[in-house]
This record gives sequence, C-alpha cells and structure tokens, in this order.
Amino acid sequence: MRKHRKEKRNRRRLLAVVSAFAVLSTGCARETEETSAEKQEVTIPMILTVDSSTGIKNEEKLVEAFNEAYEGVWQVEVDWIMETEEEYRQNLKRQNVTDTLPAVITDLRMLPSFYHMMIQDERIEDLSAWINEDEEWKAMIEPAVLEACSEEDGSIYLAPLSTAAFSCSGVFWNEELFAAAGISSFPQTWEEFWECCETLEEHGITPLALHTEGTAWAPMLFATAELAQSEEGAAFMKELYPDSYQNVCGIQLAETLKRLFEYTTEDALYTDFDVSYENFFSGKAAMIPNGYWMMDQIPEEWTGKVRFSPFPGNKLISSPETFGWAVVSGYSEEVKEGAVEFLKFRTKLNLEEKEELFSSSAEELIPAEQDYIKAYQENPQIVPNYQVKWNSILQEEVLGEALPLLTAGEISPEEFTELEDESIQRFEEEQ
Amino acid sequence: MTKGRKPSGIRKKYLRDTIALLILALMLSSIGGWIYVREKMSATIIDQYEFMTEREGLALDALYRNSDEATAECILYEDVQKTLQTRGLEEISYNALSKSFAYVDLEGIADYCYVDNKKNVYSRSYSSISYEQVEESGFREYLGDEYSRTIWFWTSDRLFGTGEEALFIGRYVRSLEYAHEPGMLFFKMDPRFLEEIIDTERENGKETAIGIMDADGQICTAEQSEEFPVGASEEAYLIEQLKQQQGTGMILEGEHVKGGVLSAYRQAETGFVVFSFVPDEVLNQGLAEIILVFAGIYLVVIIVAVVLSMYFAERFTKPIQTINEAMTGFDGNDFERTIELHTNTELDEIGLSYNKMLVNIQRLLEEIKDQEKELRTSELNMLISQINPHFLYNTLDTIYMLARINKEETTMKMIQALSTYLRLSLSKGSEIVTVEDELENVKSYMEIQQIRNENLFSYEVDCQVDAAHTWVLKLILQPLVENAIKYGFCNIFEGGQIRIQVRKEGEILCLEVYNSGTPIEKEIMEKINAMNEMPLSQLKECFPDKKRGYGVVNIMTRLRLKYGDAVRFCYEAEQDGTRCLIKIPGGGKTEE
Repeated sequence: MRKHRKEKRNRRRLLAVVSAFAVLSTGCARETEETSAEKQEVTIPMILTVDSSTGIKNEEKLVEAFNEAYEGVWQVEVDWIMETEEEYRQNLKRQNVTDTLPAVITDLRMLPSFYHMMIQDERIEDLSAWINEDEEWKAMIEPAVLEACSEEDGSIYLAPLSTAAFSCSGVFWNEELFAAAGISSFPQTWEEFWECCETLEEHGITPLALHTEGTAWAPMLFATAELAQSEEGAAFMKELYPDSYQNVCGIQLAETLKRLFEYTTEDALYTDFDVSYENFFSGKAAMIPNGYWMMDQIPEEWTGKVRFSPFPGNKLISSPETFGWAVVSGYSEEVKEGAVEFLKFRTKLNLEEKEELFSSSAEELIPAEQDYIKAYQENPQIVPNYQVKWNSILQEEVLGEALPLLTAGEISPEEFTELEDESIQRFEEEQ
Repeated sequence: MTKGRKPSGIRKKYLRDTIALLILALMLSSIGGWIYVREKMSATIIDQYEFMTEREGLALDALYRNSDEATAECILYEDVQKTLQTRGLEEISYNALSKSFAYVDLEGIADYCYVDNKKNVYSRSYSSISYEQVEESGFREYLGDEYSRTIWFWTSDRLFGTGEEALFIGRYVRSLEYAHEPGMLFFKMDPRFLEEIIDTERENGKETAIGIMDADGQICTAEQSEEFPVGASEEAYLIEQLKQQQGTGMILEGEHVKGGVLSAYRQAETGFVVFSFVPDEVLNQGLAEIILVFAGIYLVVIIVAVVLSMYFAERFTKPIQTINEAMTGFDGNDFERTIELHTNTELDEIGLSYNKMLVNIQRLLEEIKDQEKELRTSELNMLISQINPHFLYNTLDTIYMLARINKEETTMKMIQALSTYLRLSLSKGSEIVTVEDELENVKSYMEIQQIRNENLFSYEVDCQVDAAHTWVLKLILQPLVENAIKYGFCNIFEGGQIRIQVRKEGEILCLEVYNSGTPIEKEIMEKINAMNEMPLSQLKECFPDKKRGYGVVNIMTRLRLKYGDAVRFCYEAEQDGTRCLIKIPGGGKTEE
C-alpha cells in the first residue's frame, strides 16, 4: 500500500516537472508586447530652394530654430532643391495638379492666377481664424502687412511676416566700379541714373545686371519704379489686373525696359536672375536690383563694396504679401496645426530680426545693411510689386517672349503693349 | 540443464530506475525539443512568407508609384493642359492627343480614356466612347472628392464595354493655372499588371495562397497551391480577417488564424492588400521529418542506454549477488564457504567482514558445544548431589544426636555448621540471596575449617549494610575464603586472620575478603586482575589447569554473567596478606 502511494506521488512529481518545463518553454517563446504611449513627432513637409550661386539654403536659420524649439513635437522636414525661384514656382503648379504639394508653400503670391485658383479650389487653408484668435500672433504683425495679406472678405491665406521692413527692393551697387567711373554716390533722380549708366559705360563698365526669363524681375523692378515716378504711373502700379497696357504708362514702361537693356550684359536675354546675380558679383555689372533678402547672399569678400540705395526718386518696391506663406489643405489636422505654429514662429523670428537689425550699431552691420535701414527710415515711396498685380500670362509668358524682341528692336514699345494686352484677354478667358 | 539464475532485486531496481530516468529525460528533451523546433521552424516559414508578402507589398507600392507618375505625366502634358483651358485644344491636335495616351510610360494598360472639361473624349480610335458612356459608367464616382490623387479601383468594365472585372486607374486632371473644371483620365489595366507581382514570388511560395484584394474586399487576383487548396468558406473567413485590419504597410505579420498563418500588406494610397496564407499543413510538413529524426535518435539512445544499463547493472550487482548467494546458501555447517571479492569497492570489505563473521560463529558454536557439555556434566553432578538431601539431613541429625549422647561437643558443632552450610548451598535454588544468608554460609564454612584446622585462623565479619535487605549472588564469598585458607595460610599453622567486610560505596556493593597469610603471587594477581578486561569466552583459557584457579574463574564468570562487564574482581598483595575485592554496580540486587 505504501509503495503504491509512493509511486503515485512520484508520478505526480514527474507530471509537475513536465508541466513546469512546458510552461517555461512556451513562456520563453512568447514575446512581451510593449506599447508606447509617447506621442509621435509630427513631420511638416516643405520644399525650399538652395541658392545656386552661393549654395546657401534659404530660410535654413528659421527651419533650424523651429525644429530646435519644437523638438519632439513638430519637425519641419525640408526637401532642399537647387532651383531658381521661377522653377520653384512652376513646380508648385505641377505639385498641385499631381497632389504632391508640401504642407507649407512659399512664393504663392508671386503667381496671382495660381494663388486665386488655390483659394477657389480650397487647396490652401484660411488662416484668419488662427491669426485673429491668437492675440500674441496678431500683435506681432504690422497692420499694413496684415492688410496686404488679407483678402477682401477678410480671409487670410498667406501667413504674414511681422514687418514690411524686410520686403523692400532697391538697387545693390558696386561702390568700387562706381568709384572707377568717378561716381561717388548713387543717383538720386532718374536723369542722374541714366547719366550714371552712360558714365559707367564710358569707363568700360556694364551698368546693369538684367535678365528676361521668369518674370523679368530685375528689369521690371527698374521699369516699374521709374513708372511710379509720375502720379499716373504710381496709380497704374496700384491697379490690380490693369485693363490695358496700351496707354501712356504701358508705353513708358516698354520704353524704359528697352532703354535699360542698352546698359546691360550681352547674356541678359533668355536668361534668369541667377545670371544677373553672377554678373553683378563677378564685377561685370555695377548695379542689380533686388530685395533685402539678398543681404545674406552677398559673398563675404563683397560686403565692403556692395552698397544699397532706393530706386531714384527715393522709391522702394514692396508688397509684403509676397512673403506670405500658405498652409496646404489635404494634410492631417496635426500636420496643419504644426504648419500654422511654424508660420507663427516665422512671424516672431521676423519681429526679433527686425528689432535686432534696427537696434544694431553701424559696426555690426555691413554697409549695404546700413544703407537699407537708412533708406527704409527715410520715408521712401513704396511702389507695389508688379508680381502681385499683373496677370500670370503676362508675367510668365509674354515678358519672357516679348522682352528680347523689344530690346532687339524687332517690336516697338506699342507692339510690346499689344502683346501685353493679349495676355489680358487670354487671362480673362480663363477666368 | 542448469537452473535459471534468480534475477537480482538490486539489478531490477537499478534497471527500472535507470529506464524511468531515461524516459523522463527523453520526454522532457522531446517536449523541449518539440516546442523549440516547432517554434523555430514555424517562425522560419512564417518569416519567409512574411518577407515575401512584404516584397509583394513593396512591388505594389512601386506599381502605384509608376501609375501615379504615368498619370502625372499625362496631366502635365501640354496638350492635355490646353484641353482644360477655355479655348481648348485645336482640332488638329485632337487625334494626336488621343493616340499619345497609348505611349504612356506604364506597362499593362489595356485601354484608356481621357475626358476633358468640355465633354471631349480621347480614347483609342476604335473605342469611340462617348461622353455619355463615360458618365453612365459611374467611374466618376470612384474619383470622389479627391483633388487629383491617383485612384485604383476594381470593378466590372462598364466603360469600354467588355464587362470583365478589371483594375482601373483613374485621376482628375486639373489645370495648372486656372480654376477650371477638371478632366478625368482612366486606364483599364491588363490582368498581368497585378498578376506579375504574384508570378514573381510564385516560385518562393508554391505551397501558399497568394492574392491581391481591393479596399472593399474583392479578390483581384489570387493563386493557390493545388496540394493545399483554400476552400470557399475559408476564403471568406480570410477576407473578413483582412478587412478587419487597420492601417497600412504590413498589417498582418505572420498572424495565426484559423487553418494557418496570414501575412498581409496594405498599400497606403490604394488600400489594396497583398496577402499570403500558409496552411497549417505546410507549417507542419517539415515537422514530420524532424519527428522521424527525433524518433530515430531516441530509439538509438534507448537501445544504447538499456544495453549499457544492463552491462553496468550486471557488473555492479554481480558481487552483491555473490554475497547474497553466500549468505543465503550458508547452512550453519560449512564454514569453509567464504567470499572472495576483488572489486576495489566497499563490497570487498563486506566480503571480508562476512568471512570474519563465519570464523567467529564457528568459534562460538564450539564454545557453546563445550558449555553444553559442561552444563550436562554439572547437571549430572547436581542431580547426583541432590539425590536425597533429606536422607543427608536425617543422617546428619542422627550423627548429631549420637554426638550429643556421647557428649562430643566439637562433633556437634561441626555437624551443626555443616548442616547450615549445606542448607544454604543446596536447599535454596535461587541464584540471588541476601547478604545475611551469604555471610551465614561463609561463617559456617569458616567454622568447619576452624574445627578442621585448630588455631589456624580466626575470622571477623564486618557488615556495614542492611544484610537482610541487600542482595548478592550466592556462594561468592565461600570460594574466596577457601582460597585464603588454601593458599594464604599454606605456610602457617596458627594465628591467621580472615576479615570479611561488606559495605556500599554509593551504588556499588563492595565485598572484601582479607587474609593475613602469605601475599598472593604477583603473576597470579596480575593474571586474575587482567581477567576483568577479557571477553567472557576467554576466561576459561586463563587457568586451563582446573586444579588451580578454577574457583576464581568460576566467580568471575558468574559475576559477569549476572552483573555484566562492569563488575570488578581484584586481588591486592599486601605486605602481610592478601586482599580480595569485589565491586558490584547497582548494589547486588538484580531482577531474577
């Protein structure tokens, strides 16, 4: 009897050992599942350009500052591309129709038709609620800038910079070349300007760095600033989508353009702004018109000899809304939320830059920056940027095709204005 | 014919335990091995098909990207953009554009159709599809509210009229510049477009079911193993499982479902799912071979283990069996049957001990035989002496009466003493007597001896114990007194003295007999005293000559038998005599 019990006990022990082994074996095979409660970092895609001349990544400082400030929450992931501004803008259109736009886009306001189509097709976010409900953000924006970025119905599709102080364009000029021609200062009037060009040419110096591609930015800055010299011309520049260019202002603009190209380099035709930039910073040309943003693109060895002046007649060209950035619809709410925060961060950084720049001593600034502050503070006449006022066909097709013809004398200024008016007709057809 | 050898119990137990241990070890190792191999093999197979599914998913991603790029190319085509503008495409370019879609960089386009925002349809020249047909097809619904994303949908061909189920790729065509109504582009894809993904992996997954399912759970294309077909109900179950999964990418990574393991990859933009289903039979297929190998190994292990166990059991139990046979076969007579072992183990010691034991038993038997012989002689003598004690007493009484008539005082006294002595020695059968009786006995003896040897000695008895209630082995003192007279007073004729003292030292009863005669010889004394440390069986060998020392051996033997080895019996030679001392632990009283 005792033996039988012992055997039973032994059997139970054996079963217990086998069971324990089996449990252990299966237990080992089972992997522990872990769930992470941490909120994942939201990526905000964006495309920005790299300056082909300097290799500088535009807005890199802003992106890095934001990513550092919002590490773990939002990250702006930039696809840096080596493209001209014009190529970038055309790509925006392609990305839109192929539904591959990044979450934040720039330069939209430079493409008037496209901008309005984007609004009409509800492809970009109305930021008015965000801005109006955010007192801190709103307070950072100069009223004129906010107004420029607002549509008639009050909607805001372009998140503005804080100030218009950085959006003005004038003329960058080479002090050394000017001095070589015996010119000590930048011309104050348009008569003096043309004389200056003549003098430079007489000294074997090409006065202007121009181009015809894109929207013919450089020559158009000179021509529209010159046009705004008269009251009629200034009024014309304020018109949105002018009805016709076959008028005094249109003719004057064409004539000025033709005249400007008399003082430029041979490679100005059929090339884009990057060629003009190279011509200026290689010392081939004495003047190039552009905005404040080019300060960062001035090579270090050139900072001592590059100066900045308003266009003759104390004129600066500025449309703050061209610096507004938009948030693309179609992204998730969390991405859009991050994008809006990024744009607010941009406004804030812009305000800080302005305060820093305007409070800097002369020693801390390069001569061109000192000139810019002086020009901005001397109550210049602000001429609207033609890019936000005129139709896209004119800017993107007609100017590029007609300007070489005009400068070559193949078409007259009147015919040039006819081509301009044809663009108006085509543009209206598409509306 | 030889008689079968009785199996050794130890060997059986050893074999039984060894086999039990072996079975336990094999069982545990087989369970562990089985679980491990099964997990590993399953994991390997599952990983293989999971990886295959992921590759197919990535191939599907690539296909989608290709289709996206191809449709994007169409959208950006200048003539296509012109079709969206107000002026539209010039008539001359209409046919060219219709044909240009045939050259789209995307393999597998079976048919195409582009509809601009002016209800113009661009398709193959033989298709002649009207705008109304496009609208009636309902394909616009598939594009939904999307702005211009490439859409894949699986449906019956209502656009090109074949009615067959096919994959269609559709996309809104938007104007680059203006907010015009969009056009629509549709590609009907050849079945090989999707099948190619499966065909590429078919070689790697012959035994599985592989397929592609659209976002609504319709199977677009599928292949399965002839060996392990998937039934209709099983297919419905699998589709349900796939539909329940959320997310994109690898939505099922070798998930165990009913009947097998399911892996699936959901393409992010289309919602199409590539899946592979590995039936349990495939998972277990390789295991059968492993089981066979296991079984083979275990069989060899069991055979080797049993053979070795039997060999070692034989080797270890053989000497035990030899001992066992020697012991069980011992008949009590054959003392020559000793054990000869040379195992270099403790068993050799056991064998030697057994042999010694045999020698001891043999000697003890001889002693017992001698003792029995002596006992029989003693009993005979006793019987002779007890023939008629009454006759002896009556005779002594008659002699006493005659001596009294004749006034023979000495004779009277001697007869009286002899009578007392005999009464105590013969009439009381008990071994234990009171000290009082023992002293009376020895006094009678001494009185007889005093009569026999006039003036030879005087005696003195000093009893310091309660003589009536203290017990002692009888006839102890008389032989000592006899020796004192015989050997102590052998050289004197008068003046000898005998002192008997009985006392207690704690619990020890001391009996002392002193004589003032010639001191005992040193050699004899040492020999007697050495007897205290000797084994009982060897006492007789101390004084083989029975004429001398027999009394001492008798006393010592009786005392040791009665009171054990703690009894002390010593002689001391003094300057003018000899002292004999007996020490009895426990006071002399013992149970009868």
